[in-house]
Parts: sequence; structure tokens; C-alpha cells
Amino acid sequence: MAPAFRPLAAVLLLVSPALAPAADPLHARVDAHVAKGFGEHKKHAGPASDDEFLRRAYLDLVGTVPTVQQVNEFLADSSKDKRAKLIDALLASPGYARRMAWFFDVTLMERGKDAKVPRAAWEAYLSATFAANKPYDEFVRELLSNDGSDPKTRPAAKFFLDRDLEPHIVTKDIARVFLGRNLQCAQCHDHPTIDDYKQAEYYGIQAFLNRTFLFPNAGAPTAVIAEKAEGDVSFMSVFDKNKKLNSTAPKIANAKAIEEPKAEKGKEYKVAPAKDVRPIPAYSRFAQLASAVTAPENKYFARNAVNRVWAMLMGRGLVHPVDTDHGNNPASHPELLDELTREFVAHKYDLKWLVREIALSDAYQRSSIVPAGLDEVPADRYLVAVVKPLTAEQLAYAAMQATGHTDTERVAMGAKGSESMLDIRLAGRLGPFRAMFGRGADQTADDFSATLDQTLFVKFGSPVRGLLPPRAGNLADRLGKLTNPDAVADELFASVYARRPTAQERQDVADALKGAKDRQTAINELIWALLASAEFRFNH
Amino acid sequence: MPACAYACGTADHSVSRRAFLGSTAALGLAGFANPVSAKDLAKQQKRVIVVFLEGGLSQLESWDPKPNTDTGGPFKAIQTSVPGTRYCELLPLSAKNAHRLAIVRSLNSQTDDHGVGHTTMLTGRKPEAGITYPHLGAVSARMLGSQEAALPGHIRILPKGGSGFNGGDAAFLGPKFSSVGLGDGKPPADLFRPANLPASDDEAREAFRKKLDERFAKSRKSAATDAYTESFVQAERVVKKAEVFDLDKEPSKVADKYGRHDFGRHMLLARRLLEAGVTYVKVSHSNYDTHHENFDFHIEQLAEFDRPFAALIDDLADRGMLESTLVVVMSEMGRTPRINDRYGRDHWGKCWSVALAGAGVRGGAVVGKTNATGTAVTDREVWSGHLFHTYMKAVGVDSTKNFYPNERPVPIADPKAAAIDEILV
Repeated sequence: MAPAFRPLAAVLLLVSPALAPAADPLHARVDAHVAKGFGEHKKHAGPASDDEFLRRAYLDLVGTVPTVQQVNEFLADSSKDKRAKLIDALLASPGYARRMAWFFDVTLMERGKDAKVPRAAWEAYLSATFAANKPYDEFVRELLSNDGSDPKTRPAAKFFLDRDLEPHIVTKDIARVFLGRNLQCAQCHDHPTIDDYKQAEYYGIQAFLNRTFLFPNAGAPTAVIAEKAEGDVSFMSVFDKNKKLNSTAPKIANAKAIEEPKAEKGKEYKVAPAKDVRPIPAYSRFAQLASAVTAPENKYFARNAVNRVWAMLMGRGLVHPVDTDHGNNPASHPELLDELTREFVAHKYDLKWLVREIALSDAYQRSSIVPAGLDEVPADRYLVAVVKPLTAEQLAYAAMQATGHTDTERVAMGAKGSESMLDIRLAGRLGPFRAMFGRGADQTADDFSATLDQTLFVKFGSPVRGLLPPRAGNLADRLGKLTNPDAVADELFASVYARRPTAQERQDVADALKGAKDRQTAINELIWALLASAEFRFNH
Repeated sequence: MPACAYACGTADHSVSRRAFLGSTAALGLAGFANPVSAKDLAKQQKRVIVVFLEGGLSQLESWDPKPNTDTGGPFKAIQTSVPGTRYCELLPLSAKNAHRLAIVRSLNSQTDDHGVGHTTMLTGRKPEAGITYPHLGAVSARMLGSQEAALPGHIRILPKGGSGFNGGDAAFLGPKFSSVGLGDGKPPADLFRPANLPASDDEAREAFRKKLDERFAKSRKSAATDAYTESFVQAERVVKKAEVFDLDKEPSKVADKYGRHDFGRHMLLARRLLEAGVTYVKVSHSNYDTHHENFDFHIEQLAEFDRPFAALIDDLADRGMLESTLVVVMSEMGRTPRINDRYGRDHWGKCWSVALAGAGVRGGAVVGKTNATGTAVTDREVWSGHLFHTYMKAVGVDSTKNFYPNERPVPIADPKAAAIDEILV
């Protein structure tokens, strides 16, 4: 926590008094808001058990499951603050940058094609961004100001370049991804049922971009963003019988329109357009975009970020779905969202701080087990932790860790191995998981579906089967060497589920081994049974 | 009302996975246990097959011949089983089936581009930035498919390549309805149990997984976890039906009837899939993009098309499936009436033809007219939006209803068009 930010936070809080005293850490205030939101609901789940918390924290904060040693150490630790210590250790580890890079890759690019900015360069840029804990506003300014012309910083232009700078797609996605406002309908008319999605807002965003184009052409893999000095947006509602043509200056949401200098005749360009020349206008609308989106006056910018991070950790946005922030779809906990937003701004858009505060809350650390007597569990009350499907990357890394494949790769790298070297070694196995499970935006508990090909992949696909048989030091190898069935069960459950088996589960493992024709084969397929189970497929 | 609400095929059913799972639990397995109701379901279930002639079939060498004109080319028009209706002589077997076919001769699809034409014809929409519409296959699988179907509802049989899944063609309907592509009619990837996993081992591990899942569901049951564990049940059913993909199960006489070539095999596979309960099958026949030597190419291509197409129609009729199966023959566009200096015909969306048969279709109907040389529509111009409404109406779907992706209403078919009622019963 950075004490220097405190006074500012306190001042802001005076404007809208919070439930708990402002001096309380944010996670305590989160819990006060969530508790208030229980309303009529008398019952809620208790705190997650240590193993439940451990697996959840690993998956959420570093994107994979813990090693057997990490499981054993954490469960044996009797110190009172061991959860907070674990959170801090995970946030300080290289896995945090990897996890956040995965999350923001999908948030920003939604698994579109890698055309003009190669994946490796983009991932390296994201990794560096989150390893340095770059403030979120600074990160977004980089994304929305880069024209792709400097090879060193070109990866940051991926948001534009790999959308081919298509004006409607870029406009819609700026509104959705950075403001949480799906203005798609407003392309053709004011939204028919959502009062505050206006056509003018849509075209206000597009006005920043309507003079830009890809140079030398959209098809070139090395294309850069170029801009003309003139051109305004015009739009007409398809519902308007009078067919009135409207226009707007560049403008983001509720902020004021950008005032533009009048270009002197003949001096509109620094570099005038000509054949095979990239023009540079004297005044660039495009250059205003990044600061307009990230400006503190734009009330949606920080709000959208905290809502998306909240959804990443809690399995559901306070505004839900995360890109439908409007008056007719109020936040489930409006005061909580306001407070998180204010504090995020006061802490200079510090993502790691935000993740830490949410992870420290009781709400995050609640059990996902539905307590007896709680029949209805409205997801938006956070009475019980939301069971979240693993993302493609989490699933791949968790499967590789659970089966001990990652362990063997670490051993093979030796002491000098780094996390980025590990990523390179694991990339070949990550690829098929991404191709199979990574389709569009990451799934939430609400829109989860399991397709036939995905399940066949889990059942019979070679990327999964290849992880099962013994290799020196992997799980099947370790289990094969254990003679005591209880020891097999303990190691198996710690490695795959990050928990101890119950007495019944130990018995089941013993029975499975007893009846087996071939012990090693039975062990391999026991590993599969755990990998393929719902307990592994979800973060609970 | 049928015993099982899922077969009704209306917009109201299967809206949410939650509702679906809830009702499944309530119904149990009764629907399967009773063979009578299973048969009823099969009868009520509507299906769609699209034969897609890739590259752009020449309407003049097929459904709308213009013999003895500047644009007509060398072929004759022949009598069909419908007095007064003539097809090009390259389609002798289709001509015998003309009383089962309806032809739309006045299609102006408004694009001469392969990609745009393909999307437009399969979505019934003109391209719009910012929204992707689901393909006919996804809409059919969504609206007509039984939730209990063993096989995927949306299958594409492609001329070549491997099997794969296309997450994009279901758009907002979700990956559940996106197509499974069978390259060269090969079965889906990972459909067959690997050789190093004996059946007994697979059963043992599945039993262990089920035990784990049942235990987990006791404390943490959710719609998502249910959907996941349910997917293993579905996968099991498909694996058990794997022989559907095996054409060796067909008598050799039947294989001969369809023709011993790739497209013949693909059409036979399509029939097997429809018979096994797949809602939508698209079979592609490649390639009709005849910028050179249009006439020679059409002799070859249509000879390859005509026999398996007739065999399919006959088989569907013999099995009593034709009245519940909509058959559509389309391309992404037609070909220019003007014959170029390489004896080719070029891209042409302005006036061309599509053939339909089966469910809801008035056999023998011909709608729309083109002028004497086939260069313009003279009567009843339609575009792909009209066709999409027509397909939906033919299989009993109210295409004026909406989907609600992100709670925004999106009409099933373009509201600017309507069904072509003249060719529907």
C-alpha cells in the first residue's frame, strides 16, 4: 500500500460517505458493501477452507494450480496471516504478469486473428506491462495513441491494427472494452430500450478516428496508421422520417467535446498527402483519443476497469455483463462500484493494488460450497463464491502443472531457467488448448458451454493423453513408485486438486488400484479421471 | 403437444441452459426409454440439407436455360416431369424429379464477390459492420434441433481438409450451434477411442470420473458444472454413433447409386447423417468458378452433381423423410449471361436461380422470371433475405421472431424481406 495516496482517497470519500470509516482498508469496505447487499438473505457461505482458497488464489492470481510442495507447505502453515502472505507472494511472483497478460490479451483482442502484430511481440509487451505493474491509464494511453510506425513500440498498436482500423469495429470496441458500453445499436440509431446509449455518443468516439486510415493499405502486414487533416462524421437515425443529418466533434461519453483549432488554409499538413507518402496533419484528432478516453472526467474509464477486474476475480461483474453499463442495467452494488472506482483512481490506476484488495476481502475468500438451507443463490449477491470456468490458458497450465509436466520442464531447464523460458517450453502444449477452448471472450459461469469437440479433446485428444503416462519426475512416475495406496491418493489429490483426499476417496483409489490389471495404466487413467472432472475444469 | 417439449422447435424452447437442465432432470430418461415417442420425435423433427455448389453455378446451364440465344450457350433445354418447365440438358435426373423441386429464377443477390456472396446466401443478410449473423446451419440447429440429439446439429461436409469446428458461423447463438466440419467426409477429430485405451480401461476411468463429479455436484452444483458433466454423456452418445460416419456400412449398390466419387460419397454421408438425426447438413461441391471453359466444366461438374442429388432426393422420399427435410441447392452467386472470350462466364449476382425441395416446398413450382437472354429479372425479384425467410417458413419456424443476444432483439431473418409463399405449400 502506498501511504502517499491516502489523503487524496480520504478527500474523495468525503464526497460520498462510505459505509465503513475511510481509514479501513479497501477490502474491509468491500465487505461492508457486500454485507449490506445481502439484504433479506439471512444465510451465506462461510469462509473457504484453506485448500479451497489456495487453489482459487493460484488460479486467479498466477493462472495455474500449486505444486504438491506448495500445497503441503500452505496447508501445514499455522500462521494466522498465511492467506495475506500467500496473496502477496503470488502477486510478487512472475506468474502474476503471465496471468494478467492472458486476461488482458483476451479482454482487448477477444481472440481475433494475429495479422499485423505477431502474437509473440504482443505477449512480450503485455508481460512487460504487468511485470512492471504499469498504471492502467498509462497502459491504455499507450494502446490508444500508438500509430504502429515505431517498430520498438508497434505491439501496443495491436488493438487498432489487428482490427484493420475498421471504423465501426474500432468505435464499438473502444466503447465496449474501455468504457463497458456496448454501443453497437447506436451505430444506426439511439438505442430503442437503453435511454443513455445515444447515436451521438457512438459517433463522438468515431470522430477521433474518422480521418485515419491504414498506410500504405489495409492489406499490408506492416501497415501503419495515417491521418488526413479533414473529414467529419455525419450520421442519421434510421428511425428519423425527416432524415436529418447530424454531426459531432470528437467526444467521449459525458465529457465535453474537444475544441479544435481552425487550420490555416494551406497549412493543414505537416506532411502533405501525395502518392506513396504518409500524410501527417498539422492537427491530429487521433492524437486526442488516448487522453480523452483516460481523462478523469470520463466517468466510465476507471469504472469499467475495476468492474472487469472484479469480474475476473469474483466470476461476475458488479455491472453484468461487463459491457452493458447503462442506466437500465444498474450495478448490483452501486456504492461498492463507485468506491472501488474512486480508490482505483486515487491509487493511480494500480491494478496490482486493486487485485490485492479484492483478493483480501471476505467476499473473495468465501466458500463456493452452498450451505445447507440456502435454496436460492442469486449470483449477484455474492452469498456463495461463484464457480468459474477455467480459461483456455488456465486449463492448459493447470493440466500441465497437475500432471507434473511443468515440474519436469523446470528440472530440465536447470537453475538458470526463467519463467519466460518456461513459457517457451510449454508453448507447444498450450497451443492446442488455446485452439480448442479459446473462442472469443473468456466464458463466465453464465455463458459457459462445453462443446462436443472440447469434450472429445479431453477424452481422447493427444494433447491431454500425452500428459498422462510416466516421464521421469512427473505425476504418473511419482505415483507409480508409491506402494501404499493412501500415499498414491494423497499425492494424486494434492497434485491435481490441490487438496487432501477424503477417507472415501482414499478408499476409492485403493479399490481402483486393487482391481487393476496393470497398475501403472490404472494410475495414468486415475489422473485422467481427476483432470476431466468438474472439480478440475472449474475454479471454485 | 408432443410428450417431449424439446421437439417443438419453437423460439420458446431451450432458451437457457438453466431451463434445459432443469427440465431434463424432471423428465429423467423417460423420453429415451420409450421407442414410440423417440420415433414420433424423429418424425416431427425437421431437417435441412444445403447442397452448396461452390464458385457459382451457371443458372443458364442448370435451372434457367436460354437455348438458341446469344447468351444461352450450346446446350439444349429438356422437358421435365412438370409440363412446361424445362431445365438444361445437363440435369437429366433432376429433370425427372422436377415435380419435387421448386425453382426460384429471379434471385438478385446483389453481390459478385465469392466471400460476400457465401455469407449473404447463408445468413440471408447483407454484410453489416459490427454484427455477425448466424448461418442457416446454426439457426436450424438452434430452432429445430432436439436437445437430446446424439449428434451435433450443424455439420458441414467439405471437399477436402481435416475435420474441425468453426466457432464463427453460429455468431451470437454460441459455439453449441457452430458447425462441425468434416473435411472430405472424415469424422470429427478425437471421435474414436485411441488404440492404447482399451474399452475396459475407458469404462473404469469414466466410472471414476462420474463418481468424482457426483460428489462435487453435491456441494457445488451449478448450471455450468452440470453443462460440463452433461457434455460427457453427449460425447458418449456420439462415440457410440461413430458408425454413422462409416460409409462401408452402406450396401455397395447404394454407394453405386450415389456414384463412386468424392461428391457421391459426401452426399451419401449427408443422407446417413440426416437419417441419424442431424438437423442441418451442408455438402459442398467444388468448383463452379468457370471463368474459362464454362461449358466443358459444367458438363463434368453437373454430371457429378446430378446423379447423387437425384439419389438423395429418392432416398429421402423412400424413407418418408422428404416431407420433413428441406433440400436447398445454392451457390454464392450465378454466372454472367455474357460469354467471355475464353468461353467462360464470370461472377454474377444480378439474376440467377436456386432450387428447393422437401419440407414445406410446393413441388413443381417455378417462381420469378428473367428476360429472354437472362440478363435481368422481369418478374418477382427476390434476394437472399427472402430465401432465408422461405427456408424458415418451410420448416415451420416463424422467422419474424427475434433472438436476444445481449438482450438486444435481432430478428431471425431480415425484416426487410419476407417468405416466397408461392413455392410453399
